[in-house]
Amino acid sequence: MQNAKDSFYLALRTRLATINPERTVLLRGALRPGILVEEAEAPTAQPPADVFVLRWLGLGVDMDLSSTMTAEECEILYSTCGTQAFGGLDRGRMLSAMDEEVVAMLQPFYTPKFNYSVQPAVAMQTQLFWDEPTFAPINVQRDRLSRSVKVMLYSYQEQGE
Amino acid sequence: MANSFSAPAPVARRVRAYFAPVNRVTQAPVLFDPSQLGSFNLDAPPSPWIDMGWIENFTRKSASKSGPIFTGIPASPLEQTRESLEAQVSFEFLSWTKLTMALATGSQHMNLLAPASSAPAAADGAKATPAVTIQSGSTASVIQLAATDAVNFAPGSMIAVDADYAGQTGFVGSPVSGTYLRQEVTDVDYIRRVTFNVGLVLGVSSASLILAQPLPGGAPAAGTKLQAITGFVDREGGSFYHEWSALFVMQGSQGDRIFFHYPRLQSLAGAEESATPLDSKHKSGLTRILLKGCFLALPVTDPLDGERVLCYRSFKPAAYALI
Repeated sequence: MQNAKDSFYLALRTRLATINPERTVLLRGALRPGILVEEAEAPTAQPPADVFVLRWLGLGVDMDLSSTMTAEECEILYSTCGTQAFGGLDRGRMLSAMDEEVVAMLQPFYTPKFNYSVQPAVAMQTQLFWDEPTFAPINVQRDRLSRSVKVMLYSYQEQGE
Repeated sequence: MANSFSAPAPVARRVRAYFAPVNRVTQAPVLFDPSQLGSFNLDAPPSPWIDMGWIENFTRKSASKSGPIFTGIPASPLEQTRESLEAQVSFEFLSWTKLTMALATGSQHMNLLAPASSAPAAADGAKATPAVTIQSGSTASVIQLAATDAVNFAPGSMIAVDADYAGQTGFVGSPVSGTYLRQEVTDVDYIRRVTFNVGLVLGVSSASLILAQPLPGGAPAAGTKLQAITGFVDREGGSFYHEWSALFVMQGSQGDRIFFHYPRLQSLAGAEESATPLDSKHKSGLTRILLKGCFLALPVTDPLDGERVLCYRSFKPAAYALI
């Protein structure tokens, strides 16, 4: 299951770097594409703005198939206060830009599965795939606009997993 | 050594449709060879297949019948024989274009030629504005015209390109037969009314039209003419049935693919639409109007063994999936 989660994150991160190379985050001294996994970073009171945050939620397992299939629910959270240059008045536009980026990141709806626990990463035999994103309404907190998107990620368990 | 995995049943999101015209004169369908073309890019199908996009509610129905031969007392089945061969396919197109509308029509499909000034009304389009001659040097994407003709077109114009009607009967139109004429008609623009060689103009220069997509028929032949069209029309009735070769592809989540190849499909029902609510909030009100296609499969003789078949189903397993 961890391989699927890692592969999903890395696929989205690679795609984001192409879709909008300007969206970056400085994390532990390293400048990276602006997407991170919440459970793999230090806890914070509020997710950082202008960055995509992956949060893993539900889990389901179908063991009746010839290969066990797992379904893992992923919530992608993002928020923005707009830019200082416009006094935050562009926060709606900035959120729309993030909406478009998340739609683009999720296509195509599949990616190869890799084992990232070894170096270099090893390509596995199956692909993970996911359903269409479900967008939540915008949440307004003072000058901060937030939204979340949920997708269900499906993958098959392979030998050794 | 690589690992393998035991692949469960394919998981597919949707179905993609491709059609290719059957040559009605020679009765030659277009065959799809999955052994050679099974990995083709779904966005760029091999010629002459035309991408019709994703479709919905794809349903295959076999109506072939088998019957037992009984022997003995009391009678018991000895073996089976195939008594009849019949299959149907139905689905809904997600867009309205010349091709999808024609495919979802039970009869011939026509272009609405731009009408001549003060022409009397006609249900399938009034007498048309005279066609203009295409100049040499034209390609499938750039049409050369006389400067005096080019000024009559603007970006956004739709055009039909084909020859004048010259009294021929039988199947009319190439590479797609748009209709079958049992007797001569008097309209010199008749072939351009039924042609599938249509395009959208995106740019106009002093003496040429630049098209959004290449003409389906390729570079215009010498002597062909061009007319503006305003839309399309079809009729409930008539005696003509379109015939197409069809290919439906289900792309599995693991890179596996299922192909359904019907060498010969004819429209089975008249023009019909299906209204689908836009989303869960719009049970009434906003609806998406989908073209509904229903087809009857006709047989071909497989040269491999002489058997008559309606459809080929092929499967390309995922890489490293146990077979």
